[in-house]
Amino acid sequence: MAGSNDDIVSPFGPLQNELARMRGANLTAAIQDVDKIIEHLVAARERIAAADADHHRISMEMTRLQNPVKERLEAINNDLRDVTKAQRSFGKALDKALPQRELPMGTDAMADHPSLINRAIAMHLVREGQFSVASTFVRESRDHQPPLSLEPWSPRTARTDEDGDDDMLQGDGEEEGLTGHGVSNYPEDLQGQFAEMYSLLSELRNRNLGPAIKWARQNNSRLESAGSNLEFELCKLQFVWLFKGPGINGLPDDERNGERGALRYAQEHFARFQSRHLKEIQRLCGAIAFAPNIEQSPYRHIFQIDSAFEDVAASFTREFCSLLGLSAESPLYVAVTAGSIALPRLIKYNKNTKEKKTEWTTENELAFETPLPPSMIYHSIFVCPVSKEQTTEQNPAMMLPCGHVICRESLHNMAKGSRYKCPYCPTEGHLRDAIKITL
Amino acid sequence: MTDHENSSIRHNDHLLLDQPLLRLPNELLRKNFRAAHFAIEKDTSTLKTLLKDSATSAISGRASQQDVLKNLDAMISRMRGVKRKLGAYAEEEGRLHTQTAARIQHLDELYTMHSIEDVKYEAWSRKRLDRLLADYLLRHGYNNSAKELASEKNMENLVDVDTFVSMSQIREALLNGSVTEALAWCTENKKELRKMEVPNLYSHSQSKLEFMLRLQQYVELIRTQSQPKLVEAIAHAKKYLMPYWGTYPKEVKQACGLLAIPPDSSYGIYSDLYKNSRWNELADLFTTTHNSLLSLPSVPLLHVALSSGLSALKTPACHSSHDADVYSDTGSSSALGHGVCPICSTELNDLARNVPYAHHTKSHVEHDLFLLPNGRVYGKERLDDYSRKSGLSPDEVKDPVTGQTYPVDLLKKVFIT
Repeated sequence: MAGSNDDIVSPFGPLQNELARMRGANLTAAIQDVDKIIEHLVAARERIAAADADHHRISMEMTRLQNPVKERLEAINNDLRDVTKAQRSFGKALDKALPQRELPMGTDAMADHPSLINRAIAMHLVREGQFSVASTFVRESRDHQPPLSLEPWSPRTARTDEDGDDDMLQGDGEEEGLTGHGVSNYPEDLQGQFAEMYSLLSELRNRNLGPAIKWARQNNSRLESAGSNLEFELCKLQFVWLFKGPGINGLPDDERNGERGALRYAQEHFARFQSRHLKEIQRLCGAIAFAPNIEQSPYRHIFQIDSAFEDVAASFTREFCSLLGLSAESPLYVAVTAGSIALPRLIKYNKNTKEKKTEWTTENELAFETPLPPSMIYHSIFVCPVSKEQTTEQNPAMMLPCGHVICRESLHNMAKGSRYKCPYCPTEGHLRDAIKITL
Repeated sequence: MTDHENSSIRHNDHLLLDQPLLRLPNELLRKNFRAAHFAIEKDTSTLKTLLKDSATSAISGRASQQDVLKNLDAMISRMRGVKRKLGAYAEEEGRLHTQTAARIQHLDELYTMHSIEDVKYEAWSRKRLDRLLADYLLRHGYNNSAKELASEKNMENLVDVDTFVSMSQIREALLNGSVTEALAWCTENKKELRKMEVPNLYSHSQSKLEFMLRLQQYVELIRTQSQPKLVEAIAHAKKYLMPYWGTYPKEVKQACGLLAIPPDSSYGIYSDLYKNSRWNELADLFTTTHNSLLSLPSVPLLHVALSSGLSALKTPACHSSHDADVYSDTGSSSALGHGVCPICSTELNDLARNVPYAHHTKSHVEHDLFLLPNGRVYGKERLDDYSRKSGLSPDEVKDPVTGQTYPVDLLKKVFIT
């Protein structure tokens, strides 16, 4: 499979040809032949009706009718044969284009948790802004009685943040359990939150920063403690946007716009950022001096804002979600995409271990590697260079005084008494000098 | 490096989840054709005999002009009937052709992309997610949600609403104690059911569904315990159960024995036969039979994708006992700078508890690591960035997670081998 980069010719070309052929050989041909039979019958009927009980003519007509009808019936058979043929060769092409491969259906680790999946879907729909589908889904899942009484799942205690105001998931499923897989805990709040997010985003797209700045200001303390400068970034963009003047930003040409407007904006709003962003503020204001020919000035890159609104919209989305304890990208999307990337390995593994009857879901750790693109690796992963195991809470990474890191188990296995020798450099030391580190 | 390799799309492997997308319309096309064929066959053979008979009787002079005309009228109306039926089949055929074309095109699009990082890939993959969601919704009978999703996303041709809606109608009927709909479905698919192999469930080379439905009818007759119904039950057994004597001798014998046992007694297997939960089993048996007949996977594809995906993404840190709780305020933002980890995010966190975490043979850490006195390790770039954003002087750093501030000279370089 590796190195298949070169032969990425789509296998669907031939299939499309077969489809075209199949669309050509369809049932309408048979309908036309049926039509002709009807014509013959109707014509014969007319002639016989006009025959005035002339037996000879009637039997003549009936005899004459036999052959054309038979021919047409034959034609219908041929029509049908053509359809079958086309269908069959399409089927063959399909087998070739998309060879049937078994999916891992044996153990469905997800089947026992319909309410968790339903919740994930409801939240996904909401975060994608599909509010109407989401509410239909919530209603349907609530009304829907479970076909089998699956064991109730125990709800996780909702995670509240320090302000205690983030209780959108509280009471989550506590009343359901036995009754259904309804998303009874439907995060109504969450819908409100995302409705707000989408309205702010659409304002951002219309180059209106006001509402987003207001939001960022309200949530400033939490944003800052998460290491985000969103408010300042937004204000900075507002400054630049005003600076561009009515010719570009399309805002009314008054004292609140253009260079003067930008300066005035800076005076009104930048003071609060002085302690943290003094340097940048200085640069922004310094640029005003170069206003007539900013393009030639050292400040020109500040004013290149081609993608600035998209960038700021992306970081706005990220910060907004992260304040809700949610990832910026829908987890369901990431998980399903990762799933389709990892699936071939899983199938291969299943095939190779079928005889052993070991189920891949029973272990703590997968027995095979599932390589994901770098953008799908979220946590730092440390694999002990000695034992080749990932560090866990029970077996954390330990740093030796020389700066090398191995996992605790390896360290203890290597130690003689309370002393060790670093496997990577000549230093030796005492076990108690190794420090547990958090990556 | 290998990073690039991990991002490239292995097209053929990537379409594993998409097999049913083309298989189902293909099965439906064949089914549609068989039905059309059957209709034509039946009516044209009648036409042939009719035509021949009326010709011979006309020639022999036995039939009057009126008789011949009557016969011709019968033939004409029969052929018009055929035409009408064929019209409906041709329409269905056309619909399936269009659907197939749309689906092939959708799958073909993947071949224009080479990397997971391709912007076009994201759009494609989102569409796939929507398809899998619709499939999940339909399989669980959330039909309106599925329809709405399909129309909002403009992907009616990629989603099998009709198939699943009619399936869920039959299923609902079974759950409400009616076998009529399911029996009609069995008749419709008689030939295929007979040929069907269900090796996983039963060792017989024939679907058990119809027998189980007939057995249930029988049980329901006996449940009434009224004399005429019991008589009817015996007749029913003779007609519908006895033919299965050879295939399911045990079940048929039990069914006979059931006559002697009223519903309220508790004799092991007999009281099992009276159980109401048998309706659920029937509904499930029907679903399994239906899906395998149409080469649909037995499990929602979303489950397959999720269990594989959750495992691939999960790390030991995702469910660690302290991290997430203590620092939840920061959204446990990931060290590698891609925002909150999807497994740590509320949506999937509980679900992912039940799957193993991914296996890694290589460390994935930030570049240029430094240790803070509190035991936490960060990449230099991230530390600097955060400290600058926090407005610290250049000789101080701030822990992005705990918020503690330290002088730069207390940092220690960390070597990851």
